[in-house]
Amino acid sequence: MTDFLEVRGLTKSYDDGKIEALRGVDVCIAAGEYVAIAGPSGSGKSTLLHLLGGLDCPTSGEVRFKSASLGSAIDLNTYRARSVGFVFQAFYLMATLRAIENVQVPMMGVERSSSKRAARAAKLLEEMGMEHRAEQYPNQLSAGERQRVAIARALANDPEILLADEPTGNLDSVNSAKIMEILIGIQQKRGMTLIMVTHAPEIACCAPRLISMRDGKVEA
Amino acid sequence: MKASPLSFTGFVWKNLKRRRLRTLLTLCGIGMAIGAFVGLVGFSRAFEQGWAKIYSSSGIDIAVIQQTFLNTSVDESVGAKLKALPVVAAATPMIYNVMDLTPDVNALVYGWKADSFEFQSLTMLAGQRFQDGKAEVMLGDLLAQDLKKQPGDSMEIQGTTFKVVGVYHGGSGLEAGAVIMPLDQLQQLSSMQGKVSTYHVRLRPAPRGLTADEYMKRAQAQIQAALPGLRAVPAAERANNNQFVRMAAASAWGTSLIALLIGILGIANTMAMSVFERTKEIGILRALGWKQNQVLMLIQLEALVLGVGGGLMGIALGWCALHVLALLPQTASIVSSSFPWVLSGEALVIAVLAGLIAGAVPAWRGAQLSPVEALRHD
Repeated sequence: MTDFLEVRGLTKSYDDGKIEALRGVDVCIAAGEYVAIAGPSGSGKSTLLHLLGGLDCPTSGEVRFKSASLGSAIDLNTYRARSVGFVFQAFYLMATLRAIENVQVPMMGVERSSSKRAARAAKLLEEMGMEHRAEQYPNQLSAGERQRVAIARALANDPEILLADEPTGNLDSVNSAKIMEILIGIQQKRGMTLIMVTHAPEIACCAPRLISMRDGKVEA
Repeated sequence: MKASPLSFTGFVWKNLKRRRLRTLLTLCGIGMAIGAFVGLVGFSRAFEQGWAKIYSSSGIDIAVIQQTFLNTSVDESVGAKLKALPVVAAATPMIYNVMDLTPDVNALVYGWKADSFEFQSLTMLAGQRFQDGKAEVMLGDLLAQDLKKQPGDSMEIQGTTFKVVGVYHGGSGLEAGAVIMPLDQLQQLSSMQGKVSTYHVRLRPAPRGLTADEYMKRAQAQIQAALPGLRAVPAAERANNNQFVRMAAASAWGTSLIALLIGILGIANTMAMSVFERTKEIGILRALGWKQNQVLMLIQLEALVLGVGGGLMGIALGWCALHVLALLPQTASIVSSSFPWVLSGEALVIAVLAGLIAGAVPAWRGAQLSPVEALRHD
């Protein structure tokens, strides 16, 4: 297995070290792998996801992407823009933008042509089965539809890694199943690495690989 | 499927549209400030142009004034020395002051000699020229209309009764609203016996081979050499620099700057509030790969749009104010109703700068936000 994404001795503390969110995490994730990260609240799973996505810097240790260290060898902005796509529990769509415009937002610093951005956004929404809702604003969409727009947005720059933080946390069971089907479908079709933080045991159990966390550490 | 492109400016516009009331109030704030600038500075410049017109229409080339700032009067006796200089064709003393004519009306009052060459720029509409040594005045046509006076009437100025002997039309709007009286009478009223405010000089024609500038410099040098302690100022320069113009310009700029400062604080407040309220949104943008400079540009561009929008609104307001002044009888002769292009250009540049300055700190703060901390913000 090639180490595509590698975490070595990762610690993260807050409040001058009084709160230790991660206490020496070592994880290796291969390209195209689907990994679920599970654990109780406060176990450090979201913190690990944020560090894997370059949203934050570790207190010590390092995250390596294709053998290069994040934050030193790889610029975090570039990494977030080109290599990673985020899907959040609360969707985080821009309320003032239509669905198709929301999908274009990540491309604004990457693709200069606005018509190319729009064309790609339209294609992604079509892929999500959302072409008929492209001109709607987030408040005109159901929760499941919003998450599908958010997934399309995460795929905007064709990233190699898809990071999902409780993507079904705000959805009912029917929509949860649909979203999981979409995420797994994308991962398989595109050969992407999918790393998903989840509370739901039924989702965690279905993942080919499960990383269990407790008290800032990976459980054996 | 229809693909609606989203441009950077489109995103900016949507952000501003989201908080319509705040955007509108901020636009009004900066608009009022720029409007005050256009109106006040426009009026002050019209005033300055009025002075320039007085000098040009009466054929004054040079004004001889004191070099010092505190003592601004010139001894009347320098006139003989001035007239003796080879470059000087004519030299006439004058005093100007602002006096209350009624509790509601104050006006510029000039003290001239009855034989002053400056009368050549005036057209007598009724009556005749005053005589030196007599308590007589001539009124500009606008002032005569305001005071309802005509030749033969009398009026009281600072406790002295003057007879109105003539009504004239001047080359400038400032003269149309002024009083002209014998120099000796104004010297008495102003306690300036033997003193004058300035000597106005008309030069002889320039000799062949000398440009107008060279001749002016030569004349200035000759006058200053003959009259130590006095300055010979070209008329155009004097029009821009006399104490009334300077006071009008200073008060116009002072008021405008205060208004602009309030406008800038308004934009800064709007942008700071906007950044605070959109902390999570900035976190999302950063999580989606937006670089710090993109966030900075987004916020700066929003501030810039507010500045430009407010600036255009202010130019329209200021022009309306000048238009109203151009219609009022008291100011109609000073202010022109034509669109102030140069001033509007300056106002727009100021509005753009105001937007950029006001947006700088909020934009910098927004760009500095850590993505993960911004995402945690409620």
